[in-house]
Amino acid sequence: MGRYTIRRLLQLIPVLLGTTFLINYMVWQLPGDPFAGRCGQRPCPDSYVSAMRSQFGLDQPILVQYWQFLKNMLTGNLGVDFNQVPVATQLGDAWPITIRLALLAVAIEAVIGISAGVLSGLKRGGFIDNVVTISTLFLLSLPVFVTGFLLQWLLGVQFQVITPTVSDEAPIMELIVPAFVLASLNMAFTARLTRTSIVENRRSDYVRTAIAKGLTNRRVVGVHLLRNSLIPVLTFLGTEVGSLMSGAIITEGIFNIHGIGGLLYRAITGQDYTIVVPIASLLVLVYLVSNLLVDLLYGVLDPRIRYE
Amino acid sequence: MSDPSVTQDLIHGGEGPAASVVSASNKPRSLWQDTWDILRHRKIFWISLIMLILFLLMAAFPSLFTHKNPDYATLAKSMEPPSGEAWFGYDLQGRDVFARTIYGARTSIIVGVLATLLTVVLGGIAGVLAAYYARWVDSVLSRIGEIFLGVPYVLGAIIILGTVAPAQSSPDRVTIMAVVIIVLAVLGWPILMRIARSSVIQAKHQDYVQAARALGAGPFRIIFKHLLPNSLAPILVYATITIGSYIGAEATLSLLGIGLREPVISWGIAIADHTSYIRTGAHAMLFPAAFLSLCVLTFVMLGEAVRDALDPKLR
Repeated sequence: MGRYTIRRLLQLIPVLLGTTFLINYMVWQLPGDPFAGRCGQRPCPDSYVSAMRSQFGLDQPILVQYWQFLKNMLTGNLGVDFNQVPVATQLGDAWPITIRLALLAVAIEAVIGISAGVLSGLKRGGFIDNVVTISTLFLLSLPVFVTGFLLQWLLGVQFQVITPTVSDEAPIMELIVPAFVLASLNMAFTARLTRTSIVENRRSDYVRTAIAKGLTNRRVVGVHLLRNSLIPVLTFLGTEVGSLMSGAIITEGIFNIHGIGGLLYRAITGQDYTIVVPIASLLVLVYLVSNLLVDLLYGVLDPRIRYE
Repeated sequence: MSDPSVTQDLIHGGEGPAASVVSASNKPRSLWQDTWDILRHRKIFWISLIMLILFLLMAAFPSLFTHKNPDYATLAKSMEPPSGEAWFGYDLQGRDVFARTIYGARTSIIVGVLATLLTVVLGGIAGVLAAYYARWVDSVLSRIGEIFLGVPYVLGAIIILGTVAPAQSSPDRVTIMAVVIIVLAVLGWPILMRIARSSVIQAKHQDYVQAARALGAGPFRIIFKHLLPNSLAPILVYATITIGSYIGAEATLSLLGIGLREPVISWGIAIADHTSYIRTGAHAMLFPAAFLSLCVLTFVMLGEAVRDALDPKLR
């Protein structure tokens, strides 16, 4: 286990280096002028452009720039954006809101997804099973932004149950509907995964033994079946925490939430790449580390799995 | 997607149960025949097939469904709600929403299908090479795949499109569609590589491949005659579902203002243009959104029906 952890951590390094290099390369080297629209309708004066280029190291070759970026990241220096506002303060304001949104989304995914999956898996071919299969099919087909606009229109405009946009402080109550939208796709996956897992394990020897011993249905399902069936589901939920963060770009845009996604989106449309690079790299780091943690958790939860 | 097998079976095995029993005793039944037998008894398969044909017709001959010009604008009719004259009402520029929705199918389907084809080619080649040559080729390709998978999808697309074709620029129709297609494929190929790789690895150790190699078949012959046909089924299923998700992804990018843009007619653009008018005229947004969702649903449903039929274990 210890050796496996170390090997995985070592494997993480080249992937992390590759990904961050890719982001740096795409942002700074692909065609397109980062200072194109920064001076209103007129083109920027040369003195401004050259000053900015030397401040952000754009006159250096890409490898030198990347080395600078790595040094800054490792020393915790996120730098300033094109308007000289520190990236760290902007990140500090946005981070808690996105974390709240993502955690709420994971909770919704887990509660609704798992209960729907268990109910449909236990009575395969029954009424609930059909309802769950069809509704997950629909959820999988609706692009996230369609779900978002639909709920915003129905609940916010037609029935006026919620306020269509979230206020600046983003209290939990106002985040429930956006979190539901963010969770919708993964909720459907969770329900399906739970169902498959329950259906598979129902045929297993230990469930048959438990029934043969004369245990109550409640105990068979709750203790024997559920515990074993939920392992892949838990790992799925864990892996998806990272991707929820970037999925928040769209949800936060629809509901006007001032989180990481909104910050990133505004930075990209405003072509302020100095914010984009560190935040995108951080998101990738969160994604990769959560994947690693989940893989390790798998071995702890399921002792049958052995790492060589 | 399953057309070749469908037509083949309609010609050869369509004479009723007696005929198929006879043919079954003469020669072994192929995977595709089994799949077809299961598929044709599934309602969901027929529903999705009919919807697919409708959408393909819409994409190929939009004038069958509407005689109106999707670009003809009457500003006086801006945001008029649905009526007998215009079923889906008028959009902000006073253009017929029904006509624009019908014409939007072509863009979505072209982007979805071409991006999927490119993904299959890129991912398929990488996967087959990785599995066939194993060793360092495999580790290098797998690591590169992991790097691309490490960038979350939306994030990667936003970064590339935001720099190549920023929201302020206005590239022409073909360029922007090509860029979107390439971006979708570049970010999506690693998953297909994994599917192709694992199914080729499974097939590689079968006796018939060993036999072919012992008989002196070169790598090309082994890959194209033996390995590829056997990894076709999972790739086909994944590709069908991917067409659907790429159509959704294209609309998402258009919504963010960095994907397709005017003068291209697309559901994503129609939705993006009217998000600010959700309180006064939701019709201009809801109808394209409904068509978009139905189109994605069609491909996902078809892919799932074929997958269930190919893999009886899942049922």
